[in-house]
Amino acid sequence: MSESRLIIKFGGESGQGINTLGQILSKSIKESGFYNFAYREYPSLIKGGVASYQIDISDEQIASSSRYCNILSILSKDAIHDYLPSVSPNGVVIYNKEDLELSQEENNYIKENNITLISLDTIKMALEVQGIELMANMVLLGFIWKLLGLDTKPLEEIVRDTFKDKNVDLEAEIRCAMVGYNSNQIKNDVLKPITFKPKMKWKDSLNITGNEAVALGAISAGCRAFYAYPMTPATSIFKYLGDTYKKTGILIKQAENEITAAQLVMGSMNMGTRAMTATSGGGFDLMTETISCAGISETPMVIVLAQRVGAGTGVPTWTGAGDLSLALHGGHGEFPRCIMSVSNPQDAYTLTQEAFNIAETYQIPVILLTDKQIAESIFNIKDLPKPIDIERGISNGEYRYEITDSGISPRWIPSINNPTYLQTSDEHNITGESTEQSNDIVEMSDKRLRKVETLREQIREPEYFGSKNPDIVFVGYGSAGNTVGDTLKRHPDVGYLHYQYIYPLKYEKIIEIDGKGARIVLIENNQTGDFGKLIKQESGFEITERILKYDGRPLFLEDILNFLND
Amino acid sequence: MPIPITQYNNEVKPTWCKGCGNYAIHIAIKKALGELDIAPNQTLITFDIGCSGNGADKINVNAFKGLHGRSIPLAIGSHLANRKITVLATIGDGGCLHEGLDHLIHAIRSNYDITILIHNNQNFALTTGQATATTLEGKEMYGLPDGRPEREINIGELVLSSKPSFFARGYSGDPLQLTDIFKAAIKHKGCSVVEIMQTCPTYNRESSLEWFTERIEKLEKPLLTINDARDTVLMHEKIKTGIIYTDNSIPTFYDRLENRKNSTTELIDEVKQYDISKLLEDFK
Repeated sequence: MSESRLIIKFGGESGQGINTLGQILSKSIKESGFYNFAYREYPSLIKGGVASYQIDISDEQIASSSRYCNILSILSKDAIHDYLPSVSPNGVVIYNKEDLELSQEENNYIKENNITLISLDTIKMALEVQGIELMANMVLLGFIWKLLGLDTKPLEEIVRDTFKDKNVDLEAEIRCAMVGYNSNQIKNDVLKPITFKPKMKWKDSLNITGNEAVALGAISAGCRAFYAYPMTPATSIFKYLGDTYKKTGILIKQAENEITAAQLVMGSMNMGTRAMTATSGGGFDLMTETISCAGISETPMVIVLAQRVGAGTGVPTWTGAGDLSLALHGGHGEFPRCIMSVSNPQDAYTLTQEAFNIAETYQIPVILLTDKQIAESIFNIKDLPKPIDIERGISNGEYRYEITDSGISPRWIPSINNPTYLQTSDEHNITGESTEQSNDIVEMSDKRLRKVETLREQIREPEYFGSKNPDIVFVGYGSAGNTVGDTLKRHPDVGYLHYQYIYPLKYEKIIEIDGKGARIVLIENNQTGDFGKLIKQESGFEITERILKYDGRPLFLEDILNFLND
Repeated sequence: MPIPITQYNNEVKPTWCKGCGNYAIHIAIKKALGELDIAPNQTLITFDIGCSGNGADKINVNAFKGLHGRSIPLAIGSHLANRKITVLATIGDGGCLHEGLDHLIHAIRSNYDITILIHNNQNFALTTGQATATTLEGKEMYGLPDGRPEREINIGELVLSSKPSFFARGYSGDPLQLTDIFKAAIKHKGCSVVEIMQTCPTYNRESSLEWFTERIEKLEKPLLTINDARDTVLMHEKIKTGIIYTDNSIPTFYDRLENRKNSTTELIDEVKQYDISKLLEDFK
């Protein structure tokens, strides 16, 4: 096993400060030279419910969460019932002073797995060092820091940095952390020290979410307008672009609905700037008519589709990847489009830039898929990749919809220096004039669809990771792929074919792998295997072995390890 | 120097019915642009779906024919990208008051510097005469043999209730007044809404030229208060046309964007690679 993990989980109610706790701990761990990946579960509520913040610490870069934790810190009584089953053998549970009401079954679980329960009166401890009740979480933080066996200096630095601009008694915060750290309730047999070595590269790394990387990709690519409408888990792209708008000069408009947001993107892109919107499945439904309009009128568009689980309202704050078919088929009529899928901040940054290049060069809608596990989880990354050169494909010509072999017609920007043209959602001839002639319809439809083939030539092949002579090869995309990627470190006999470009689909590598006799397993965070269906539709090849998960949770490391061990 | 109207013409033949109000509206748009010296390539008109939308390929300007009910947000997205281009949104009463009613209200309250021309012929004509929100209550219409069962919307009342910065009402039977209204609407800095009462000789025979001529009275100048303007648009016996109400004190959407206040360029001039290294410092 070359990848080691130590996992800490906070469980409590929404509104108890779990995020702040998790963020300080996560940053302090990074500052100590360890990699960590942070995953949040939270209810679609402002206060109450059960929420958690899990930090997987490693010496290697990881991008997935474990199902189990070594240290569970419970901030509200009820959370114990939700999260006790996630404590691994020999784990530690820290809870507040009140008695836990445990069932017989829960008591058995604790006994069988040799789990230590530690009751900590964090409020009393905070008050004893002249802190205030609100600082109880700092006591907890200090206590956990001691369990991890880490030096207090990085923790103190991050605490000071976190609260420096806030109206708090900084020295009291530090005293509270220290009283937790020095608590006499810490016995040697409950310590969970990190046994792997720190690496300086993680100390300087970035602490970033998938959504923030998408936003940075848009900024880098010269996206000058962001049209927003809130919908989890896409909303934090709006937040980041809004929070930085004075530095970037990007125009931010919160639209009256997703239909408007999509129309604003189409209007702005047609005029010659770069604009974007981001939504989840329900909002994307409303955007589909505009995507169809962009398809026939050959107008560039970039839309981020951040997926969550379920039809209708579904389970709004939980992850899933059930919208691939929507991205593929949303919008009436037949028209070319491009679908990409991000899986981590690095490729979110790169693919967002490529999305603009492809949208403009091919004059098509580009849909950038992500999911809640990527969008909102916090990754440590060494750096973002180099930016991609901007390609716009703008050229003058005689006819706006000229018939070409590549399917790409000249497109120029409306301006005082250029001839006028009509951009239109009516079927049209080369000049843009509406037509009902049979030959015009066929000629223009064929021209448009040729863009798919031209694009297929340009896009990257899926990337293969892992064994040269694999017994099993997984095929996947998005956050499900991250978990497979982490599994490879423990299973050198396994391979993984990872897709960034979903449509047009490059399927030749799957056929090639099948030809070598490896077992091919499809992995998706949805119920019906959308991507498998696309592969079959495009290549005729059916992947019969599948891991499908659709309970709102991401693919945990153990989901794949168990599959391989079975 | 005004630009001759012929510069806005192209070779495509109109397909509207004989006597359709769209002929006059189309000419008035061209005339207004020409008299304001706004060249075809300095203009962008978004078109909706329906008889008004069928004008999209019959005029030489930059144009975008989009979807039913969406010409307003399409115009807004275009305008925000490049304010040097004059942007007009044309839309029928069906698209504007049914499919895209939300867009009209939010465009007015945001006060984008665009001009919205609502062609009101009181029916969905291109789909052969169904009722719209402006069709009179009780009127027999396509699929409604006992008359439409809902009350109608008065466009002026609706627009004025949203506190517009410009509202005018014109009539397709008076293209000269219409031209003057369009010119004022285009010149107004902010969201100008113009209701154009439009004859439809095929599906709305009751509202004929004669019917309008008996009722129309031109306003000399805009009303001073929004309440007076509301009373005026609600009159039954007379139909007042002209610039009904203006309020130049309302800032435009763009002028309220703090981060765009000192910029000398338009969004279309700013597409280039941006260095994000300073932003990345916050993630360390």
